[in-house]
Amino acid sequence: MPYIRESVDLSVDLLPGHKRGLSLANPVMTASGTFGNGLEYARIFDIQRLGAIVSKAITLKPRRGNVQPRIAETAAGMINSIGLQNIGIEAILRDVAPVWATWRVPVVANIAGESIADYTELAGRLDGTPGVSGIELNVSCPNVESGLEFGVDPRAAAAVTASVRRRTDLPLIVKLTPNVSNIVDIAAAVAGAGADALTIINTFPAMSIDVRRRRPALGWGSGGLSGPALKPIALRLVYLVARSLRIPIIGCGGIMSGEDAVEFMMAGASAVQVGTATFLNPRAPLDVIEGVEEFMRAEGIEDLRQIVGAALAAPESADAGRAPAQYLHPRV
Amino acid sequence: MIRLERATVVSQEQVYENTYLMWLSCPPVAKGASPGRFLMVRCSDGNDPLLPRPMSFHRFRRQPSPEGQALSRQPSPGGQALSLTGERGGAQPATQFAILYDVRGRGTAWLSTRKSGDAIRVFGPLGRGYSLSPAAQNVLLVAGGLGVAAVVALADEAIAAGKAVTLLQGARTVARLFPAHLLPTAVEAVSATDDGSEGHHGYVTEILPGYLPWADQVFACGPGPMFAAMANTMRQARSRKPVQALLEEHMGCGTGVCYGCAVFTRKGVRLVCRDGPRFELREVFT
Repeated sequence: MPYIRESVDLSVDLLPGHKRGLSLANPVMTASGTFGNGLEYARIFDIQRLGAIVSKAITLKPRRGNVQPRIAETAAGMINSIGLQNIGIEAILRDVAPVWATWRVPVVANIAGESIADYTELAGRLDGTPGVSGIELNVSCPNVESGLEFGVDPRAAAAVTASVRRRTDLPLIVKLTPNVSNIVDIAAAVAGAGADALTIINTFPAMSIDVRRRRPALGWGSGGLSGPALKPIALRLVYLVARSLRIPIIGCGGIMSGEDAVEFMMAGASAVQVGTATFLNPRAPLDVIEGVEEFMRAEGIEDLRQIVGAALAAPESADAGRAPAQYLHPRV
Repeated sequence: MIRLERATVVSQEQVYENTYLMWLSCPPVAKGASPGRFLMVRCSDGNDPLLPRPMSFHRFRRQPSPEGQALSRQPSPGGQALSLTGERGGAQPATQFAILYDVRGRGTAWLSTRKSGDAIRVFGPLGRGYSLSPAAQNVLLVAGGLGVAAVVALADEAIAAGKAVTLLQGARTVARLFPAHLLPTAVEAVSATDDGSEGHHGYVTEILPGYLPWADQVFACGPGPMFAAMANTMRQARSRKPVQALLEEHMGCGTGVCYGCAVFTRKGVRLVCRDGPRFELREVFT
């Protein structure tokens, strides 16, 4: 008869080295763009039970977003091109952050810009704002100066991270795009530039064609793939980075259940973000928390640290291969 | 409280070409539901197809109370008396509702194979529905294609409230018209078909001007081009009558968090799922 423990400790000290830290009651966060600004769901369930909430991407100016259609369903997934529709930093600071400040659950503000100056200004506006417990950089945006996404170029990614780092001492998370030839290069660059943690990964660039209309299904043309189809890709990228760098990782991509979350933690993630799952089940983040708890009880696990990175001790023949030595300890 | 609920399929039938009528029993979702609001319907047992489909409440009914007060209007497949109800939120709120849907892809194909007694996953009720004014006596409903799904619930409610109801229904061809025998008998149904196979030969919006002066309230549901034509017709008829238009858009979440169903209105960007699906026609189609 397996011993069933009465209680398990789900809490996560995500940034043990950070002076303000980011303490989560459990490892389950909501992914940016899939939970609004938290206010929408405050009426639907007890959002205080979440590990953390990540806001919809905030830009300097309000954005109307892209033309329709913005969503296309694909096999075990969906593609979106919302176009960063949001109310802008002014309205966030005036109307939304004061509500966040009344919550026990930490809120991480996701920010997006078109230049290093945009990101830096956004970080400066959020710094010291009650209700904001951290910043997540969406670097999957094109840099107007180069036309390239910040997140695909290690130098640009490091430059924007360093600039934001100088502007704020809030916990700083960088959300990486999977659309790169070597994610460890990017991860190492932003870690070296002062990122406290990484969210791995954002949606994968993707497309769907409406064959009857003979044009892309999305009004914008292409978009970002999310959902279960993305999970194996995300998992491997978490694993690759976790094997190579010592930086807290938040796993994100197609997590639908507690077991999916456990997979990400075993691959090296300290916490996870639930995104698209919320669209098909409004209580999905809570179900994931309960699923993790259930797994811990069934396996006799008392502390999540027992499973974080558990799969990293895999044989050398694992796909990840040996990490180059320079990546092992980029910053102490 | 919005949560994933298990709805039990009470019955399912193919009511006309490619279109299915499914009755579901799910008291938590029926509670608070009203014409023009919608629910999200999962179309798989697992996660593929992934996204739930937004569907209008097509009809409501309640199972008879133990006292047997409910008027019996339509027998259930099991022979048990059930009453169609236009009055919700009274002493006996509806416990069952119907959805009317076309089989268009993998998800709706899956849905069409569900049998009586099967469970499907749903959540709702969601959005802002139609608002029937107690003062209105003459109610005009305009439906294009499957838009009829949403206005039938309103027809039931208006008839139950003693109002006069006219339904202008447009479809591609006669086989795509919602069968008149399924409408409340008191509804005056007028048809228009694109191919002239029944009723007016042309669009439903072409017969609209003749009914506008009569109507105290106008409600519509249909595809975007129908709304655009309707707005145009209203303008040419110099009618400033408000029209409650029920919009349809690709949705991710149904709850206002994914921003997939945005619509650009005169008052700015709105979300169909959260701010609608009912909008004033003129605010969206100019």
